[in-house]
Amino acid sequence: MKEERELQDVLVQLSSLAPGPADAPKPAGQALAVIKRQVKQEKRAGCQPWQRFWQNPNRRWATAVLSLLILFTVAFSFPAVRAAASDFLGLFRVQKFAAISVSSEQLALLERVAEEGVSPGELTIVNAPGALIPVNSLAAAARETGLEQVLSPAALGEPDEIDVVEGGDGRLIIDAAGARRIIELAGADPTLFPEKLDGKRVEVVIFSGVQQSWDDGTVLLQTTMPLVEYPGNLDPVPLGEAMLQMLGMNRNEAARLARTIDWTSTLLLPIPRNVATFNEITINGSSGLALASLDGQYGAVMWQQNDVLYLLTGSGDTVELQRIANSVR
Amino acid sequence: MTALSDNALLEQARLGDDASFDTLFYRHYDRVYGLLFRLAGSRAEAEDLTQEVFLKLHQHAFTHKRFSPQREHNLSAWLYRVATNMGYNAIRSRQRRWQRNTMLVPDPQGSPAAEVEAERRETETAVRQALAQLPKRQVQLLLMRQMGFSYAECAAVCGVAPGSVGTLLARAAKAFRKAYKEKT
Repeated sequence: MKEERELQDVLVQLSSLAPGPADAPKPAGQALAVIKRQVKQEKRAGCQPWQRFWQNPNRRWATAVLSLLILFTVAFSFPAVRAAASDFLGLFRVQKFAAISVSSEQLALLERVAEEGVSPGELTIVNAPGALIPVNSLAAAARETGLEQVLSPAALGEPDEIDVVEGGDGRLIIDAAGARRIIELAGADPTLFPEKLDGKRVEVVIFSGVQQSWDDGTVLLQTTMPLVEYPGNLDPVPLGEAMLQMLGMNRNEAARLARTIDWTSTLLLPIPRNVATFNEITINGSSGLALASLDGQYGAVMWQQNDVLYLLTGSGDTVELQRIANSVR
Repeated sequence: MTALSDNALLEQARLGDDASFDTLFYRHYDRVYGLLFRLAGSRAEAEDLTQEVFLKLHQHAFTHKRFSPQREHNLSAWLYRVATNMGYNAIRSRQRRWQRNTMLVPDPQGSPAAEVEAERRETETAVRQALAQLPKRQVQLLLMRQMGFSYAECAAVCGVAPGSVGTLLARAAKAFRKAYKEKT
């Protein structure tokens, strides 16, 4: 009886949130017209699932984070300079992450360099990655991707959508002169790029992954770590040093830091300073990174476990995302 | 004349009948907006979120074909679940702004009407802040019940047994009272 009375009191209190006459929405007809216009525009543009992915703000953030990750591991779909940068780092199976904050001025400089159209080599995309294929269950997703098991966060329950994200592969035949020119244009020391790499081949494989989505905008992507095969006898330290310089670090600092990073297992993520902040975290005993957009709207956590990369994004804060990530089983 | 069920409209819409989608929209627009306004607290934000919910419905039904014609779907449960998820995220992400802006709220000055209005807004903000402290399911239950949804409807949206709704609501009310007390 007391509980019922308390509930009624709370419901009365909550009624203060109901829209008043001044809060009435636009007429339903108008609202429907807006929706139909948007649907029509999508159809006219021939939107593919991956394009709609970009249009959803939550997923845009997810994709932005994923793009940052891919930026320095593969050359697909990025302008030449970014492709060049990716070659410097995509030489391994990633075991840990490190982040570097990049200023908006430096990013603008890299954009300008990209527009120069200088190529770091001959890029061939054999199979373009990224297509989304809806599947009915996690078991089906595991079958499609070859992942031993597809994990899901217990904290969120069943996903509302499950998609297989198709993998891809490609190769780059390095043009040392082009690569050096790009480094130079970005304000870094071009001699750090070894001449002996000219004509050498870098192969990149991105494996198919599984994307689980929940209606609140939370997305969990898991995929086997990208595999990059590179020329043997390569010393990655000078390349890492060049990359750090390209991201705006002064030469002394870049040289010092490049020597402390294990380039064969660390994925360096450039984080635009005007977009997000980051901190190191531990998820289920593995090291990872948490990123929070500066406007507090979106967050992401990424970690690797047993050679599988996990990326969880959503509109919750990163503490909440870590809680969800820790429930991934 | 008997109105077509949501499932029948969904099926007709799936076969290309735009008018059926319109009927679904008109049927649920006010309640979805009402739910989102309670959470968002601003007309513009609630309208945007409402639009997103129905766009999602359109994509879900037509692009991804998630609603299979062979199955019975509880469309309203799906709609209000999506709506509360979105609205809940909105108040959660605003939580930090509230914390930052507490000191920026101006003291009500001037006419008594302005004072009353300021007080009303303060109360609403405190209620929303208290809601933001609760787990999503408790927020769903409380708001839907306040809007007049039946226990069966609440159960369908939250994915719980109808028989447990009473207990869950009582718990939610208790949690709300505690959170509200801490906020005021």
